[in-house]
Amino acid sequence: SFIQHCYQLFDKDRTQLGAIYIDASCLTWEGQQFQGKAATVEKLSSLPFQKIQYSLTAQDHQPTPHSCIISMVVDPIMGFHHMFLLKNTSDAWVCTNDAFRLALHNFG
Amino acid sequence: AECHDHGSPFQGRKKGGNSFRDNFDKRNCYHEHGGYERPPSHCQENDGSVEMRDVHKDQQLRHTPYSIRCDRRMKWHSEDEICITTWRKRKPPERKMRQNTQDGYTRNWFKVTIPNGIKYDKSWLMNSIQSHCSAPFTPVDFHYIQNRACFFIQDASTASVLKDVSYKICDDENRKICIFVNHSTAPYSVKNKLKPSQMEMLKLTMNKRYNVSQQALDLQNLRFDPDLMGRDIDIILNRRNCMAATLKIIERNFPELLSLNLCNNKLYQLDGLSDIIEKAPKVKTLNLSKNKLESAWELGKVKGLKLEELWLEGNPLCSTFSDQSAYVSAIRDCFPKLLRLDGRELSAPMIVDIDSSEIMKPCKENFTGSETLKHLVLQFLQQYYSIYDSGDRQGLLGAYHDEACFSLAIPFDAEDSAPNSLRKYFEDSRNMKTLKDPYLKGELLRHTKRDIVDSLSALPKTQHDLSSILVDMWCQTKWMLCFSVNGVFKEVEGQSQGSVLAFTRTFIATPGSSFSLCIVNDELFVRDASPQETQSAFSIPVSTLSSSSEPSLSQEQQEMVQAFSAQSGMKLEWSQKCLQDNEWNYTRAGQVFTMLQTEGKIPAEAFKQIS
Repeated sequence: SFIQHCYQLFDKDRTQLGAIYIDASCLTWEGQQFQGKAATVEKLSSLPFQKIQYSLTAQDHQPTPHSCIISMVVDPIMGFHHMFLLKNTSDAWVCTNDAFRLALHNFG
Repeated sequence: AECHDHGSPFQGRKKGGNSFRDNFDKRNCYHEHGGYERPPSHCQENDGSVEMRDVHKDQQLRHTPYSIRCDRRMKWHSEDEICITTWRKRKPPERKMRQNTQDGYTRNWFKVTIPNGIKYDKSWLMNSIQSHCSAPFTPVDFHYIQNRACFFIQDASTASVLKDVSYKICDDENRKICIFVNHSTAPYSVKNKLKPSQMEMLKLTMNKRYNVSQQALDLQNLRFDPDLMGRDIDIILNRRNCMAATLKIIERNFPELLSLNLCNNKLYQLDGLSDIIEKAPKVKTLNLSKNKLESAWELGKVKGLKLEELWLEGNPLCSTFSDQSAYVSAIRDCFPKLLRLDGRELSAPMIVDIDSSEIMKPCKENFTGSETLKHLVLQFLQQYYSIYDSGDRQGLLGAYHDEACFSLAIPFDAEDSAPNSLRKYFEDSRNMKTLKDPYLKGELLRHTKRDIVDSLSALPKTQHDLSSILVDMWCQTKWMLCFSVNGVFKEVEGQSQGSVLAFTRTFIATPGSSFSLCIVNDELFVRDASPQETQSAFSIPVSTLSSSSEPSLSQEQQEMVQAFSAQSGMKLEWSQKCLQDNEWNYTRAGQVFTMLQTEGKIPAEAFKQIS
C-alpha cells in the first residue's frame, strides 16, 4: 500500500515524492548515492522514463530494529529491483533509504 | 561525646526522642549548589527551623552521641553511593508538615535514578522509558551524577508507572535497565525558580541581545550584563534554574533560533543546555568558546542539535587532544553534519547519519570510512558464502543475531508457473504479492537464528560466484549497515544441477563478533539468471565488485596466478590470494599450499570443479 502510493506518485507527479522522504534520506541509484530529500526528488524527477509499466511480481518485507521496515520490490519485466527502508515517524511512513538496481545491467 | 553545657546525660532526653527522629526524617541530601553535578561537602539540612519545645535543642543537635550518628548516616546517604531514602515511609507529624512547606518540600516530587545511566544515549533512554509509560511525563532537571542518570517527575501516578518500568527495558547488551523512584524535594530549578519580575528582566535583556535578521542570540558573559547586574539578578548559567529560565524564554520568544552564543559563561557542564534540543531545535550555530568544559564528552549532551557551526576554543577540552585532527574527528563524531569548527571550514563528511533525533543506541564502534566498510563487507561475504556453499550451513549460526529475520521470495505466483529451477524455493517463498494467508506470512518470516539456519539448511546446495558480485551499500548509520548483494549462483546437485540462478540478497547488519558482521535482517530474492548473466558468471574472475579496492595485477602477476591455478588445481582467486599472502614468491607459495593441503586446511570450494 505504501509501495503502491509511492509508485503512483512516481507516475503522476514526481515532485510530490518529497512527502515520503525526509531530509536525511539517502537514495542509492545504480550505485550512485543521492543524499537528502531535495537530491532524491531531483534524481527521481529527472529519470527519463515517463511512466513505468509495473508488473511487480515480487514483494517482501521484514521488520527491522528501531521500528523500521525493510521492503523489497521486484519487477523482472522492467527489470528492476528496489529496496526501501521505511520508518514510522509521527504516524506517517517515510522512506529513509532506498536502493534501486536495474537487474539487466548487473553485469554490464 | 558528652553534653558539656548542661549536666544531664542524654538518657534524660528520652522524651525528646521524638524530635530527634524528626530530625532524622527530614534529612535529605539535597544539592543547593548550582546544580547536581558535584556532591557538596555536607548535605543540606533543613531542620534549622524546627519548632522545638526543648530548650536544649541546640545542644542536642551538636553534642549528643546521636547527632554524631546522624552525621554518619548522612554520609552514607550522600550521593557517592546509591541514594535510597527509605526512611520517609512514616506519615510526618504536624510539626513536620509546617516545616516542610517552609522549605518548599511538596510531597509531589519524585526523583528517578538510573544506575549506570551514563552509558546510554539520553534520547534513547528517555524515549525507551516513555514508550513503556501509558501517559507522557515531563522529566525535569535531567542530569548525571557520576555514572547515574537522574531526573525529577511530578506526580505519584507517574511515579508508580515509572517504578514499573524498572527491569522492562533491555539495553543493547541485553541487560535490563533498573529504575529507582523515590520521594524527593522539588528539583533545584523548580525550587529556585526565578521570580516573574526577574524573568521579565531577563527577557528584556535577551531581547536586546537578539539579532532578528540573523535569528541569533548573543548571550556571552550574560552574568555581567549591566541591566541584570543593576537589578541584582544573578544569571549564572551553570545553575540549573538560570539555564532553565533562559531556555524557557528562548522557547517562548525565539523558538526559531538559528544561532546561540554562550561564550564566556564559565560553563563546566551542559546538563542544563541539553533541553535546548526540544526548545530550540533549529539551532545550527553554537558558540561555547571560552568556557570551562573539560571534556568533549560534555558535548554529547547536546548532540541532538544538527550543528553546522561550532566554537569551542578556549575550553580546557581543546588541549586534551593529541593533535588537531584528533580534535576535529572527535567533535565530528558528535556532530556529523558540522561544517565549521572554531571558524575553520571542515572537509566534507564521509558518512551520513540517519536523522539523529531518532531512537539511536550509543555506538559501539566507529566506522571510520567507506574503505574500511567495503573491506568489512567483502570479508564478511567471503566468510558467509564459504560456509553457505560448503554443504553444512550450521556454521552460519554465528553470523546471525538472536532475533534476526529472514525471508525469501521468488517472482512466481503458483508452483506450476515456476520453472523447474525455482520450484524448490517456492515453498519458502514469501512473496507478499501472492501470499494472502496471514498465517503463512508469519510462518515464512523466519525469526531467530536457529529457525533461520534450519531453513537455510533445507534450501538446495549452492555454489556462489563471489568474483562477480555487485555490492550496494545503501545505508550506513553508527549502529547498522544495510547492503545488497547482487550475483549468481549455481545449483550443485539434484535435478537442476548446473543451472544458474540470479539472486539479490539484502542484509541489515550490526558489528559482529565471530563474524565481522551480525545479521539482523536477511531478505533473499531468487530468479532465473538471464543468458547474459549465465555467460559472464563463473568465468575468469574479473573483479566487478563496486567496492573493489585492490590494486590490479601486473601482467607477470596474472601469469603467475594462471600457472599456480593450473598446478594446484585451485580456483584463480584462491591462487591469487595464496600468492599475495606469500609476497608473490612462487616457490614459497607452492610450499605453503602443499603443506596446507596435506594438513587438510584448504576448503573444498577453493578448488576448481572438475567439469
